[in-house]
Amino acid sequence: MAWITKKSGSLEVERRSQPYLTDEVKKKITEVYLPRYETKHGALIPALHAVQESAGWLPHQALMEVAEFLELKPADVLDTASFYEEFWLKRKGEHVIAVCRSIACEFCGQKEVTEACKKKLGIDVGETTEDGKFTLIELECLGACGGAPAALVDHTLHEFIKPEQVARLIDDASKHSGHH
Amino acid sequence: MSWTPKTEFPVLTARIPTPPFGEMKDRRTVWYDEYAKTGGYDGLRKALSMKPADVVDTVKTAELRGRGGAGFPTGLKWTFLPKSEDPNNPGVRYLAINADESEPGTFKDRLLMDFDPHLLLEGIAICCYACRLSKAYIYIRGEYHHQAMVVEKAIKEAYDKGVFGGKGLLNGASTATGEVWKVECHLHRGAGAYICGEETALLESLEGKRGWPRNKPPFPAIKGLFGKPTIINNVETLAHLPSIVSNGSAWFHKQGTESKIGGPPSFGTKLMGVSGHVNKPGVYEFDLGIPLRVMVEKYCGGMRNGKKYKGAIAGGISTGILGPDQFDAEMDFDIGRKYNVLGLGTACPTIFDEDTDMVAVARNIARFFKHESCGQCTPCREGSGWLYQLLSRIEAGDARTKDLDLTLEIATSMGAMPGTTICGLADGNNWATRTIMNKYWDEFVARVRPTYVPVTMSVGAAARV
Ligand SMILES: Cc1cc2nc3c(=O)[nH]c(=O)nc-3n(C[C@H](O)[C@H](O)[C@H](O)COP(=O)(O)O)c2cc1C
Ligand code: SF4
Ligand code: FES
Repeated sequence: MAWITKKSGSLEVERRSQPYLTDEVKKKITEVYLPRYETKHGALIPALHAVQESAGWLPHQALMEVAEFLELKPADVLDTASFYEEFWLKRKGEHVIAVCRSIACEFCGQKEVTEACKKKLGIDVGETTEDGKFTLIELECLGACGGAPAALVDHTLHEFIKPEQVARLIDDASKHSGHH
Repeated sequence: MSWTPKTEFPVLTARIPTPPFGEMKDRRTVWYDEYAKTGGYDGLRKALSMKPADVVDTVKTAELRGRGGAGFPTGLKWTFLPKSEDPNNPGVRYLAINADESEPGTFKDRLLMDFDPHLLLEGIAICCYACRLSKAYIYIRGEYHHQAMVVEKAIKEAYDKGVFGGKGLLNGASTATGEVWKVECHLHRGAGAYICGEETALLESLEGKRGWPRNKPPFPAIKGLFGKPTIINNVETLAHLPSIVSNGSAWFHKQGTESKIGGPPSFGTKLMGVSGHVNKPGVYEFDLGIPLRVMVEKYCGGMRNGKKYKGAIAGGISTGILGPDQFDAEMDFDIGRKYNVLGLGTACPTIFDEDTDMVAVARNIARFFKHESCGQCTPCREGSGWLYQLLSRIEAGDARTKDLDLTLEIATSMGAMPGTTICGLADGNNWATRTIMNKYWDEFVARVRPTYVPVTMSVGAAARV
């Protein structure tokens, strides 16, 4: 739920010395994204995507670095970052399995697919395996309703999933290094 | 039931094999060279030979209606822009392309972006020329990873070939106005928020903010992205432009259908993504006006496992449901008035067979809206949560009759049409809940224990229209 406010008032930001905003990401923001928009704020969502792609998630330190780089208030960056579901403000697994739970998928066998994922990974929806390899989530419509039930494994869409295929899908994903 | 297609050739899917004109397995992405060899960018060339105002007029007389959900006349929307010569309005004007496609049941724009991205880019260029817009942002939903990659690559090709960029459209081709027209085009990835498909939330998101819909007026055509005049159109709407400009409005009128109830017409073909309990789900291109039954039985291989039809979401869950006796509904813009649904929406129906639990359908939809409400308006933020709780209780068999009336009362009170919310998300919640409950009332009644409180009963009866 995008509108729930966070307990950020008394937040302690965990720090590490190495910045999350790498030179490479900074270069991309400066050369590709900033020229596209009328304001620096406009480049915020592409910038957050870029940082998340390289860091795997968006720790508060990273948000503060982005704020400084784009000359925004940290609160504005958190405001945006916390609104969108695709931005991970908590650490996620190396691979994310996202099962669609919307209308076409639920009534074409999604529940069995989710159950098979839970069983294979030994976790509930919303959890990450202890080795940090997999996070299992359910999302709303992925725009693949004609291929229901559908799921995203990292950036790859799978359609017409049968519960008995789930174990193999997950094994295949673990062979590749995660997209973050 | 007999129905003959008027369109002998596919228009939007001309390069994308789609039954009955081609096999889905033969689909692949059409890149610039192939696109250009098969008549691509001819529409833009023709547009540049016309005065911008004449291009707008062509689209207006074609009576093209928006394919993003509301069916608003595209040419008319364009005329809301301030006059470009107006000295009070100098500077850049924007086009925002709505490729957010997050309405459950909807997966049609994806087809164009997957396989024929230059059709969209040509449409964008035509719109920018006609409306005097100089910068276009394609707002694509975050989950469309593959599509973002394809469109990004196509944009790069288009720049390399001089469609967009510093020289002006089509390498600085001379235009009817005597000056070259320069257009920049960028891809902007969303990050997982259904509400960003609402046009003003989309603009907020493009500005880097949370996707909170704006109060209107001012309308985006006057004060849109970064406060500048902005046009927002759906991917499929823009993809219609090259063929309309090439072939003219009379040609467009041959497809689709006139209104049968004296309303505005539903001309043209439409991408219709069929999902649910049919044998061959997928995106098809049909004339507007095709009866749902023909679509399912003739093109989608009929109902799965030989089951009977029970109902269908008309075009994305916001539109509500077509009941058991509405299988013959014609898929055009009259559908709302004729069959008591919100409207045609995205024309992507989700079909349910006789074994479907309609209470569960209503609960699934309520959960979606609760999850996606942006939280600005109390009736939507709170109402969507209440509806989900009530419907979950009804589904579990823990509710009483008065809960049915309460559910309807809450649903009826939410939305921009009842005037209690900023945007149309709450109207979708309202219509979906109400139409499912009303059209499958007995199923809901069978799930609850009776209450005997006559006063609340009469409130409910009034709400149940
Ligand atoms: C809650 C909500 C979600 C919407 N989502 C989309 C969407 O994903 N894609 C889209 O094209 N239009 C969507 N719309 C409709 C847009 O606000 C807008 O009407 C449309 O993009 C205009 O384009 P068109 O005139 O070409 O159809 C949505 C509207 C609302 C109220
Ligand atoms: S109706 Fe709902 S989604 Fe729309 S602005 Fe209000 S709270 Fe947000
Ligand atoms: S409902 Fe699952 S992809 Fe649309």
